[in-house]
Amino acid sequence: MVQLRPRASRAPVSAEAMVDEGQPTSEEEAEHGLLLGQPSSGAAAEPLEEDEEGDEEFDDEAPEELTFASAQAEAREEERRVRETVRRDKTLLKEKRKRREELFIEQKKRKLLPDTILEKLTTASQTNIKKSPGKVKEVNLQKKNEDCERGNDSKKVKVQKVQSVSQNKSYLAVRLKDQDLRAARQQAAQAFIHNSLYGPGTNRTTVNKFLSLANKRLPVKRAAVQFLNNAWGIQKKQNAKRFKRRWMVRKMKTKK
Amino acid sequence: RTTSGAEPESARARGARSERGERREGERGAAAIRCVAYNNHSNRLAVSRTDGTVEIYNLSANYFQEKFFPGHESRATEALCWAEGQRLFSAGLNGEIIEYDLQALKIKYAMDAFGGPIWSMAASPSGSQLLIGCEDGSVKLFQITPDKIQFERNFDRQKSRILSLSWHPSGTHIAAGSIDYISVFDVKSGSAVRKMIVDRQYMGVSKRKCIVWGVAFLSDGTIISVDSAGKVQFWDSATGTLVKSHLIANADVQSIAVANQEDSFVVGTAEGTVFHFQLVPVTSNSSEKQWVRTKPFQHHTHDVRTVAHSPTSLISGGTDTHLVIRPLMEKLEVKNYDAALRKITFPHVSFHSQPLQRVSLPRLECNGSILDPENIICSCISPCGSWIAYSTASRFFLYRLNYEHDNISLKRVSKMPAFLRSALQILFSEDSTKLFVASNQGTLHIVQLSGGSFKHLHAFQPQSGTVEAMCLLAVSPDGNWLAASGTSAGVHLHCTVPAYNFPVTAMAIAPNTNNLVIAHSDQQVFEYSIPDKHYTDWSRTVQKHGFHHLWLQRDTPITHISFHPKRPMHILLHDAYMFCIIDKSLPLPNDKTLLYNPFPPTNESDVVQRRTAHAFKISKIYKPLLFMDLLDERTLVAVERPLDDIIAQLPPPIKKKKFGT
Repeated sequence: MVQLRPRASRAPVSAEAMVDEGQPTSEEEAEHGLLLGQPSSGAAAEPLEEDEEGDEEFDDEAPEELTFASAQAEAREEERRVRETVRRDKTLLKEKRKRREELFIEQKKRKLLPDTILEKLTTASQTNIKKSPGKVKEVNLQKKNEDCERGNDSKKVKVQKVQSVSQNKSYLAVRLKDQDLRAARQQAAQAFIHNSLYGPGTNRTTVNKFLSLANKRLPVKRAAVQFLNNAWGIQKKQNAKRFKRRWMVRKMKTKK
Repeated sequence: RTTSGAEPESARARGARSERGERREGERGAAAIRCVAYNNHSNRLAVSRTDGTVEIYNLSANYFQEKFFPGHESRATEALCWAEGQRLFSAGLNGEIIEYDLQALKIKYAMDAFGGPIWSMAASPSGSQLLIGCEDGSVKLFQITPDKIQFERNFDRQKSRILSLSWHPSGTHIAAGSIDYISVFDVKSGSAVRKMIVDRQYMGVSKRKCIVWGVAFLSDGTIISVDSAGKVQFWDSATGTLVKSHLIANADVQSIAVANQEDSFVVGTAEGTVFHFQLVPVTSNSSEKQWVRTKPFQHHTHDVRTVAHSPTSLISGGTDTHLVIRPLMEKLEVKNYDAALRKITFPHVSFHSQPLQRVSLPRLECNGSILDPENIICSCISPCGSWIAYSTASRFFLYRLNYEHDNISLKRVSKMPAFLRSALQILFSEDSTKLFVASNQGTLHIVQLSGGSFKHLHAFQPQSGTVEAMCLLAVSPDGNWLAASGTSAGVHLHCTVPAYNFPVTAMAIAPNTNNLVIAHSDQQVFEYSIPDKHYTDWSRTVQKHGFHHLWLQRDTPITHISFHPKRPMHILLHDAYMFCIIDKSLPLPNDKTLLYNPFPPTNESDVVQRRTAHAFKISKIYKPLLFMDLLDERTLVAVERPLDDIIAQLPPPIKKKKFGT
């Protein structure tokens, strides 16, 4: 760091300054102070601490005096530097963002249908909102989800379903995002019903037990409708099967 | 699975074999009933199931199911209601309000309500407004316009989902049941005027939230609420206080329906019990009345999710797929067989197939498993076995089947014409060259099939003015005549059979004589000669004589009629619990003779005597029967749907403690 502040000179001070006797005139003192404050050219690059230490050698000197103006100038310089860096960073970031946006637009454009067809669609949908569909068009919508991206642009035309644009009414364009939301809500609703009717806290029995209740009360008691529970010990059964296979292989080998 | 089981009585001596084909699980079982709605003016009942199908029963025509709307996977109906002018609306968890077109048997439109899943719907007493309760806690009001419905406004939004709604008979207030509370709204302003907090448990505390499954608003301001803690509570809406609380079950009470006169109501519980509450005077000559729980009915095994109250009977339906109609004795004037309990287990879905080679039949069924969200309305296989056609609500499928060296390959015929979009009934002609399609616009199309392609031959337009859907088709084996019957009891050929006020349940044309045999829902059977254009002599004799009273008292309609190729005097017909061969050459039974023979014949003379006793040879060996037909001269195919199979697939019921277990 370059210090522009005047520094103490390295020039040997006169003997009178060393000896603390007598009262040098204030002018001299001031001169000394100034002299002390001036940095030597050679020592300009040295760090401040050394300087200060060096200064302390000179013993009880007053700290460097800086004028207000110089300090102000310094502060301003710093500020300017900081502002510069910030501005540079900002512009860099902007550039980056711009480039990214363009890239995305490019990609989107590649995915979308040609502009002509989309224009036709949006105009058709806007008129359809106000009037009943009656226009004859030859648009053949193969991809339905592209429509929703386009629909995002026109905020006023908040269409859930674009009326079919063909006279035959052979297809219907629907926003997939809404379908997902609707499906999620329906799932949540069904989960609520299931939980409240069959969830924890309800007093439900199994179908097997229900059907076997009659068997229990017959004069000649019978077994349950589904007596065997084939789902127990699956791991054990699998292990046993594997073991049996291996054992057979071993047996075959030793026989030979 | 084929077994050569016991043979039908009359065919025993001739050695005909019958084969039993049991349906595999999961192929076609009725789905659970979710909502019912009773229409007072036309005495019709609309029933909606969990798979989205809606059936319409005509309660005055012997509880016959006359209309049927196929379901869709995404449509989880939660509410069904009739509005003015015989309009039917349903709302479900997909957030849409659907109106059904009862003439063309299709969906008129589906309107999104933008409130999330819809839990409840109620039509105003005047029938011109529709109210729905949504998942987000909003209550929306719709105006019913002549061709559509229109959103009017939102009421004050509540904190939790609105699970039940009820209008005050004057149309000024609404009660809405939600989770842990009931709110009362003023219709004009749309604001909530009262909020009643429901106890979570009868005289106790509970962690589980109390869901108010049903509310009913009476004209004196009383609100009746049923909730998941098993309570039926009476509230006073003017003050918002609880008047009376009944604990009737250990499980949820899931539905409530009030009679028009407001002197009785019915509730259904999750244990399968249906309770009848009546307003009775406190003492025999006092004017003060109170609500008393009078009758419990246990006709269901699983949850009773919906109930309805007609002027003379209680209707309930639930998860066990049965629809139970219990006439109330005190409301009926004439106490005859009509007063008996009616339990409708198998919805009468037209199930038509021509079984061909025995070997291929089971494999055909597994090939035909189509992963389609829409349900199939009707299907048909051609007699030669090379064509399969079926139709869903929006598409028509035609497949070409190749059977060689035990190998089956299906090839779809693409590019169906536009008019074949949705068919109500499909039939192949006897020589498999023609396909008859009854569309839901009322037109009847004839398509010629040749080789691998088809050509549209002719389209019969509906009769003047009526846009009526043709529901039943019958074609004569020689290919000359086609009979079609609409939903309102008219049979049309090139001429029209005289109308009868009960709907047709089955019809078929005999091979050589070209007699059209028609069965109606009141168990009457007619035989009409097509070339001569009048009823046959035998039919007239039967009508004069009358049917046996047990025949007329059968619960289920006749679903299929067929004929033996070599025996023109025999008519084979069946319903869900019996199949019968009518021998036209034998005398008719009168009311004193035994119609059903419960015991097997003991000796030879018994057999002879029974064989010549009367014309109706009935066998109840296979039940419940879904379909029965003659495969060839000596074989009969019967398709059963055991009830146990259906029960095994149902969701778990509430645990009930029985003594001794």
